[in-house]
Amino acid sequence: MTYIGHLNALIRAKVSATPRLVAYGQNITAGSCLSGLTRGLEPGPGGRVINTPNVENTLVGAGFGMALRGVDSIYFMKQQDFLLLGLDHLVNTWNIVRRMEPRASFTVVAIIVDSGFEGPQSSLNNFNDFCSMSHMPGYAISNARDAELVIGRHLVAPGCRMIGLSQRLFGTPELAADLTAETDADGDILRYADGPAATIVACNLAFPQALAAWRHFHDEGLAASLFSVPAMLPRSWDFILADVARSGHLVVIDDSKSENRNSDRLMLEAYKSMRSVRITSLSRDFDPAMLSPNRDALDVDPAALVAWRRQAP
Amino acid sequence: MTAPIVRSQVDNSRMELARAVLRVRLSQMLINERLKAKAFKVPVHLALGHEAIAVAVSAAMADGDSLYLTHRNIHYNIARAASLAAEVAELRLDPAGLAGGALGSMNMNNPARGIAYTSSILGNSLCVAAGAALAETVLDSGAVPFVITGDGALEEGVFYESLELAASVAAPMVVVAENNGWSLATRIEERRCPIRLDRLAAAFDLPYRRLAGNDVAAYAAELAGLRRLSQEKRRPVVVEAEVSTLGDWLMPHPDFPGGKHINYHHGAAPEVSPSDWPVIREDDGDPVFALGHRFDPDWLRSQARDLLAALEGELA
Repeated sequence: MTYIGHLNALIRAKVSATPRLVAYGQNITAGSCLSGLTRGLEPGPGGRVINTPNVENTLVGAGFGMALRGVDSIYFMKQQDFLLLGLDHLVNTWNIVRRMEPRASFTVVAIIVDSGFEGPQSSLNNFNDFCSMSHMPGYAISNARDAELVIGRHLVAPGCRMIGLSQRLFGTPELAADLTAETDADGDILRYADGPAATIVACNLAFPQALAAWRHFHDEGLAASLFSVPAMLPRSWDFILADVARSGHLVVIDDSKSENRNSDRLMLEAYKSMRSVRITSLSRDFDPAMLSPNRDALDVDPAALVAWRRQAP
Repeated sequence: MTAPIVRSQVDNSRMELARAVLRVRLSQMLINERLKAKAFKVPVHLALGHEAIAVAVSAAMADGDSLYLTHRNIHYNIARAASLAAEVAELRLDPAGLAGGALGSMNMNNPARGIAYTSSILGNSLCVAAGAALAETVLDSGAVPFVITGDGALEEGVFYESLELAASVAAPMVVVAENNGWSLATRIEERRCPIRLDRLAAAFDLPYRRLAGNDVAAYAAELAGLRRLSQEKRRPVVVEAEVSTLGDWLMPHPDFPGGKHINYHHGAAPEVSPSDWPVIREDDGDPVFALGHRFDPDWLRSQARDLLAALEGELA
């Protein structure tokens, strides 16, 4: 099954099982149904599935309005860029709604255009910034286990959050389907493998690169731990830090274009709590070339990471 | 002009509406006294002259209906709340306030009395209300959200978008645009081309009504009818209420020999003070003056006197 097929199956099951839920967005029941993401959505008892007009700002505000009246909703968005039009609500409306501790759920599910060839107006891969500005939980999904955790636990739950999906991965076979994972208490972080040689952590949508690195470590006889951090604002880093305390070697891979990465926070927490930790970070700095159509990928050389690990004193 | 009606000829509901207009006016005047004394750290936007539409909206709301407000919300909050003291405490950011002192002025709401949400951002409440309207269709509640906006927010895209969404998803909603002709310190004709709200509503095939003259009973009846229409047709309705924001004044200024005209946006109205005849302007732009067309002046004065004493007692 592909990444998008797996997500579609999980979302369809959740929507049809949730009474009085409103699933809405542009083209969600028409055309490609957001490249298959929302194909076949059926409402649960008393719910509605609505193909909406092109009114992004209003659609974000409307989700908060439904939450205030106790109705669960999911807004499916073809590109996360469109969410820029709803920032007022993510920040200002959420500031009011959150203090009422709504029992209803409102989730924005947006596709992050990380495939790079859509052009300068679609070069946004800055999920961290949306979550930082709004202080709203956000979860990026880059593999099968992440998908099951995030869709199962966070798609419909009291309060509000955003979920980001990788356009790059849409047609690819789902990753980590053959792996098991354990999660931290908050459902923010997953561990796929446990080994003493190093702690490899994938942030944003960089799980494919992290998985490739972990496999190369394995092939080279180094048993490493592998983590994925779907949460943009993890409530605690302790799950990873405990592993780093044992391995002493932290490999952070983050493909976000944000200047405000959660992986930077992880490294800071590691340095603060462990004086002797060795850290290597693979991420990207802003480059004007990012603003033209390009393959927009964070390249990682697993062999170089193994060499870095073996250089350890 | 309609001949004044003596007390015995007026039914209780009309009398209560008149008393409510006086209460909202006098409450604002007492808050204005505290503004003059700089008693609040938060910016307070008085709505002197907006009392009739606020009382009428409150009267037209049925149980379960919800209300969505703007930064200039004081008249609706007073009209809906039983306690002026709780409102004033909220402006003081006191824990005894309506929202525990956590919201202050521009976001003051009161869910227990149907004020579900208040935004200080121009136009922000419109789409939140549209979402609430959509929610009522799912809940099959029969409730109708009322959303208040101003002529300034008509210029925002969200006004257009919210009507479009609510109409597209067959959701009931009463949209009330208070048109006072000003946005901050700029008059409509100074900043933009005319917007014909009746024609904008017609473009969406939505009912439109214009309310003018500040006859609170007529406003309440009209709004109740529009609420019913919105509920039955599952369509938004658009109301344009002509209001005059009263309390403007002439500030001494070296560049203006006769004084600089201040149409205050927020803060005190220095030339307005509470009294047992709290008219600010002698024409129908003042809802208290307009009460004189339907009620005996002596009865109105006695009501104002009693209300003022009670409100002062509440705040003492």
